[in-house]
Amino acid sequence: MMRSILASLVQLATTVLVIAAVILVILVPLSLSQPDPGAVLFAFLLGPFDSVRHIGNIAEAATPIALTGLASTVIFRAGMFNLGTEGGFFLGGLGAAAFAVMVGIQGPLAAPLAILAGACIGSVACIVPGYLRVRHGAPEMVTSLVFNFALLFAGLLFLSYVLRDPTAGALTSPKIPADARLDRLLQGTRLNSGAIIAVVACILGGIWLFATRSGLNTRIVGSSPGFAAHLGLPITRITMATQVVGGLIAGMAGAVEVLGLYTRFTWVSLPGLGWTGIIVAILARENPFLIIPAALFLGYLQVGGDILGRSMDVPSEIVGILTAAIMVAVTAKIIFENPRLLRAIRSIKQQEAK
Amino acid sequence: MSVIGPDMADTSSVIAFDGISKTYPNGTVALSTVSFEIPKGTIHAICGENGAGKSTLMKILFGLEAPSAGRILLDGAPVEAGAPAFAATHGIGMVHQHFSLIPALTVTENIILGHEPRKGVLIDRAEARRQVTELSARYDLQVEPDAPVSTLSVAAQQKVEILKALARDTRILILDEPTAVLSPPEIEELFNRLRGLRDAGMTILFISHKLNEVRALAQSVTVLRGGRLTGTVALRDVPDDKIMEMVMGHAVEVARREHGAANGETVLSLKSVSTRTREPADLLHEVSVDIRAGEIVGIAGVDGSGQRGLVSVMSGFLRPGSGSIAFNGQDMTRADSHAWRHAGLAYLPADRFAQGGAPALSLADNAIAGTDGNKDLQTGPFLRRGRIAARVRGMIKEFNVRSFGIYERLDSLSGGNAQKLIAARELATKPKLLIADQPTRGIDVAAAAFLHRRLDEAARNGAAVLLVSADLDELLRLSDRVLVFFAGRIVADLPNGPSLTPAALGPYMLGLENAR
Repeated sequence: MMRSILASLVQLATTVLVIAAVILVILVPLSLSQPDPGAVLFAFLLGPFDSVRHIGNIAEAATPIALTGLASTVIFRAGMFNLGTEGGFFLGGLGAAAFAVMVGIQGPLAAPLAILAGACIGSVACIVPGYLRVRHGAPEMVTSLVFNFALLFAGLLFLSYVLRDPTAGALTSPKIPADARLDRLLQGTRLNSGAIIAVVACILGGIWLFATRSGLNTRIVGSSPGFAAHLGLPITRITMATQVVGGLIAGMAGAVEVLGLYTRFTWVSLPGLGWTGIIVAILARENPFLIIPAALFLGYLQVGGDILGRSMDVPSEIVGILTAAIMVAVTAKIIFENPRLLRAIRSIKQQEAK
Repeated sequence: MSVIGPDMADTSSVIAFDGISKTYPNGTVALSTVSFEIPKGTIHAICGENGAGKSTLMKILFGLEAPSAGRILLDGAPVEAGAPAFAATHGIGMVHQHFSLIPALTVTENIILGHEPRKGVLIDRAEARRQVTELSARYDLQVEPDAPVSTLSVAAQQKVEILKALARDTRILILDEPTAVLSPPEIEELFNRLRGLRDAGMTILFISHKLNEVRALAQSVTVLRGGRLTGTVALRDVPDDKIMEMVMGHAVEVARREHGAANGETVLSLKSVSTRTREPADLLHEVSVDIRAGEIVGIAGVDGSGQRGLVSVMSGFLRPGSGSIAFNGQDMTRADSHAWRHAGLAYLPADRFAQGGAPALSLADNAIAGTDGNKDLQTGPFLRRGRIAARVRGMIKEFNVRSFGIYERLDSLSGGNAQKLIAARELATKPKLLIADQPTRGIDVAAAAFLHRRLDEAARNGAAVLLVSADLDELLRLSDRVLVFFAGRIVADLPNGPSLTPAALGPYMLGLENAR
């Protein structure tokens, strides 16, 4: 126990060092070209904490990626590199909006039922590639990647011909009924009750993974398939179950995002928060408890970048490069320390070689 | 043109090993003070059991590993062993047991890989093809230069491997178990080619544990046992049984287990079980065996003679093509691994970090894996952390596992301690049948002795024990009887006793005799 605590402290310290190095290389030269270099650093690093509103913005940005991060964690823990969470997120948002608009339930059950509908519809994005893998051995990374785009265009077809509000100027759904929308928690931000859902989901996910028999068996299947076979564990069933649950969570994430932030469904391309969720899962070392800080960290980077872009004379592209560089550096460092991810990457390379 | 035959070979030595030792960082001594010389233009065999140090010695000669002590002399001059590009500089080529060809590339591309002829920045394909054709003609090894390697037969792939090894002005060729994958006519063909290379002045090192092949091909042989040199002899001077004794060791008296009466009920019964597979190690042919409660049955045989197939059909990983298996009175012919474990099988797999446990999970997770539904360890779906910790600490204490704590990862343990933890888990199920596959391979003596006591104890408590081991001393120490496998068949079923020695097992293991 002591050893592992020490090891994780060392890892945390090296992560901080990596971030410091990136800031030194990109942000410091940039700030020197500004009239007040200190203010640039201050705005990016401490700006996100300077008001309750900014802190609320961090939590708001962290909500969807915490949920998609949890979805990817559940999926990766079973040893599958299923990237369907992005399509699941999109489809979940569309499904929840369509359910709220078309079924039209009123009262306190409207939002939960719309989220459930979004989760179920969104889960298809992870279930299909998972099934193709366990039944037919099709590489899930490839099928899920391709399937995401198939789902995007199927969803747009549905949006254009069925759900579209003909009175609106753009391609968008009709207004989502107020009963189905999530409650706002903080004045001046879009922080909503979805954040509570995300925190609870991550904690439940952690309890499942580390304190239940099913979680233990999933970790065995994912980390050591040969051992799982030796124990006679139902590998196919466990793998499939995690793809279903991961898909449900991804769909729920999309539903929470749409019902929490928007009055209409307006996505016409993949929103990318499923991909970010993969980074969150990697940052959190596939540990649901660590997803909350990992998602908050990415939220903090985003808010810091926004403040920098708004308050200083810094082009938004530079801000994008800075946050992207930090994300790439930190993710690369963690991938490099994670033998399972390295193995996954190697197997992808082998598949490409074939 | 005069052909230099084996008897007229230049007697000056081309390779001399001088006191070569190799100790790995984990303390394993692979070689200790090995010294011998190999005359130029001969085929020299290196013999020894698995783990005798043959491969390590060849890796040192090939420059893949540096010796801990000693030196290598080529043509009488000391060379810096273990230096990069050592093999290429000194004209040493090696054909590994497992081919290192890239299936998607053509024969030519594989052979020139790493020393491509260039035209500017591009590979000169015409020149490459010409080189390969010329090489193939020079050594009389016919290959199709443009064929993708994936389309070739195993024998043809081996020719490509040999050409690849010869491609850079090679004068010393090392072949590691080259016949393992070939059929008898292909072996004869290979041997003719090798004799041709020798006659052309090449020095060839031939690693094998098949005595008949060594005799057919080589002029002299060096035997290693347990990392030490047992001798270098000219083959025409010594009879088979003398070499066998050099390989297997003298009839050292082993402290045998006091055998139980072994009159328990038959726990496991295989009736003419055959497997359909292309994998030699999984091949079984008409295998019939009964194992009774309370007895330890040892399985001997050269690696890959069907032991893996036997263990696989007895644990639900491989379905027999024909025949039947009964365990505890139940028909288990088509049972899966879950059914086998449920019926009372415990199993220490040979690959302890891939199948015996999950290296990335904690000791506690590994120790309770597979105890699904145990009311003592879980309440509903939730694991009882306190109870689990208490039980795992008990197991660690009882099996003397040296660890940093039960929440550390399994791969923080040494091989011996990991194996003890795995044994603790498997024996906790009070098995009716225990399979121990290479239970002490690579493990220190003290841990091995501890595991031996546990296997003995399990048998005394009424378990039927199947012990598969490449370590003959271990087999003789523990077994009540020994079954010898050769090419997927049981060729001998020998009761253990003072007259059963490694030398007595040798002829069966090497396929020279069949007692059935």
